[in-house]
Amino acid sequence: MGGLEDDEPPAKRVKASSAELRSLLSTSSSLLHIGYLGVPMAKPLPFHGEQDMIGSKGVIKRAEFVRIITKTLYSLGYEKSGAILEEESGISLHSSVVNLFRKQVLDGNWDGSLETLHKIGLADENLLKYSSFLILEQKYFELLETNGFMDALKTLRCEITPLGINKKRVHELASCIVSPSHHVLLRFANLGTETSNPRLKLLEELQKLLPPTVMIPERRLEHLVEQALGLQRESCYFHNSLDSSLSLYADHNCGKDQLPSHTAQVLQEHHDEVWFLQFSNHGKYLASSSNDKSAIIWEVHEDGGLSLKHKLIGHQKAVLMIAWSPDDNELLTCGMEEVVRRWDVHSGECLQVYEKTGLGLISCGWFPDGKRLFCGVTDKSICIWDLDGKEIDSWNGLRTSMTSDVSITKDGRHIINTCKGNVIMLLDREMKMEKLVEEEQPITSFTLSGDDNFLLVNLINQEIHLWCIKDDPRLITRYKGHRRSRFLIRSCFGGIQQAFIASGSEDSQVYIWHRGSGDLVEALPGHSGAVNCVSWNPSNPHMLASASDDHTIRVWGLSKKVDLKPTSEGHSNGVVAHRQCNGHSK
Amino acid sequence: MGLLFVESLPGPKVFKCGRCKVDSASHDAIISKDFHGRYGRAYLFKSVVNITLGPDEDRHLITGLHTVNDIYCSCCQQILGWRYEKAYEESQKYKEGKYILEKARMSKEGW
Repeated sequence: MGGLEDDEPPAKRVKASSAELRSLLSTSSSLLHIGYLGVPMAKPLPFHGEQDMIGSKGVIKRAEFVRIITKTLYSLGYEKSGAILEEESGISLHSSVVNLFRKQVLDGNWDGSLETLHKIGLADENLLKYSSFLILEQKYFELLETNGFMDALKTLRCEITPLGINKKRVHELASCIVSPSHHVLLRFANLGTETSNPRLKLLEELQKLLPPTVMIPERRLEHLVEQALGLQRESCYFHNSLDSSLSLYADHNCGKDQLPSHTAQVLQEHHDEVWFLQFSNHGKYLASSSNDKSAIIWEVHEDGGLSLKHKLIGHQKAVLMIAWSPDDNELLTCGMEEVVRRWDVHSGECLQVYEKTGLGLISCGWFPDGKRLFCGVTDKSICIWDLDGKEIDSWNGLRTSMTSDVSITKDGRHIINTCKGNVIMLLDREMKMEKLVEEEQPITSFTLSGDDNFLLVNLINQEIHLWCIKDDPRLITRYKGHRRSRFLIRSCFGGIQQAFIASGSEDSQVYIWHRGSGDLVEALPGHSGAVNCVSWNPSNPHMLASASDDHTIRVWGLSKKVDLKPTSEGHSNGVVAHRQCNGHSK
Repeated sequence: MGLLFVESLPGPKVFKCGRCKVDSASHDAIISKDFHGRYGRAYLFKSVVNITLGPDEDRHLITGLHTVNDIYCSCCQQILGWRYEKAYEESQKYKEGKYILEKARMSKEGW
């Protein structure tokens, strides 16, 4: 605070003025102009209806603004406040005509209400007729209830029918005179319960029909606020927080701090390079596979920490990949050009081994019904088994390259696989058609988005391409910046509404891009070897896991919740650490 | 090292890395057989696979000054030849972006 003497401690001064503020605000209802020095200045005169437009942009009409607030106060149950606001502002919620109308409807003054309805001046003829119909219908029913049959009949003949609309309903009403039981059915079918005031219900129905300038629709202010919040959320660049954290006090703006960017945990149970990892569908487990011929199932705890649940031993070769069953109770692991094993997640037992004599398997996946599985074979075919190991089918000619990725959409309808170096085929099993994603460079791996509408394709030239495969495949965005020259590096979708793309990299960092714009948002150092695979927890947008050649798995989280376990962390150097240093790629 | 990504060539005539036998280049990609490398005869190719590049280096070759990158087999890291990044004489510009594979370092499949 400039311009003040230095000898008085600033903290003391600030405290005093805030106490002053509090006492002033509690007693006075008009705004105080708090000046620069923290001392209240002269009060400006309160304005009543002086200015028609309010707000800095001059697009908000005072009358509309106040009326919406009044309406909200009434609907929240604050009757007195609503009435005071109407009085103090001089702006009534409803015009006097409308107030009269409402009163007449609630009092059952049908003829009066119809007259007033005409006075309100509805532009649309039909609207007038519909509203009149509703009112007269209510009159009719009430007359019937009080046994005024002749009057009711008169109403039906002379008032309702001449309107010339909704003839079917008119016939139904006529049948009510004839059979009283029908009347009861018709009447209370519309109302639901007998306890609600039918006249109030009528008023609500009329409110929906009449234009908003006449009667303000319910919950208008809530709707406007929700709209504003929706826009804020959409324009929030780093948006990665739950809706519950949206506040009205300040414009919502996630900072980078909502992205997992700090190492929360280093998992060191593997003895060799970790090549693959993936969170389960419900995000409660993480499975990883390694060159050490094992796979590990980790449990994700409430506090965000992971611990080893089962080590899956049995493969004789490095474990290339893992596939979670749709219900997360079982796991498939694929040995490198070896066999596929099916495991029970809870007991850690191997339930079944699948193999093809004389050939090796290089990938595995589940059918959405969880009863069949498919595997990529070294002879470039795809083999399908049932759970017991019986071979159901074999597809040849589908894959002409050894690249192993094969995926199936959640509805079981599309099979997606790399069929030539540069091409991914989307086979529609129902329509027996295929669509192609054609790239200019060889494809090393791909991932399907959670909603099956997008494909993230990793290319040999260090680019990651996002394709929309909903109708005709088209390229949407390119992501660049990471390094890949020798290995199979995988990428994934993640974050709230999968708004981010993450990838491993040969420079030992984890890369995160903003999905919509393609901008590189983070390059996270920490690993001391190439990062082969990343997986974002589907049920926790703040948890990301990465698998590396340095034999470890890193779990990344938000900086506030850094929970470094007492495992020995290597120095984070983020520098290329090829075993055989052969320089960098161009 | 991580899980190597290995491309394979359709063939039928394919040059492979002499040491680890992964595909390096297709016979169809030969531009010229009239080159000499460190170890004897070498061929100029328009495209190669499963290669990693070394850093830029300026070298005086038989044909003049060039900026080249040594190329290594991405699987076994054996040096297989080099790539022309830049040529400084007009007559040599055609080589830019092309690859030299040394015959002594390759093995052949398909013939």
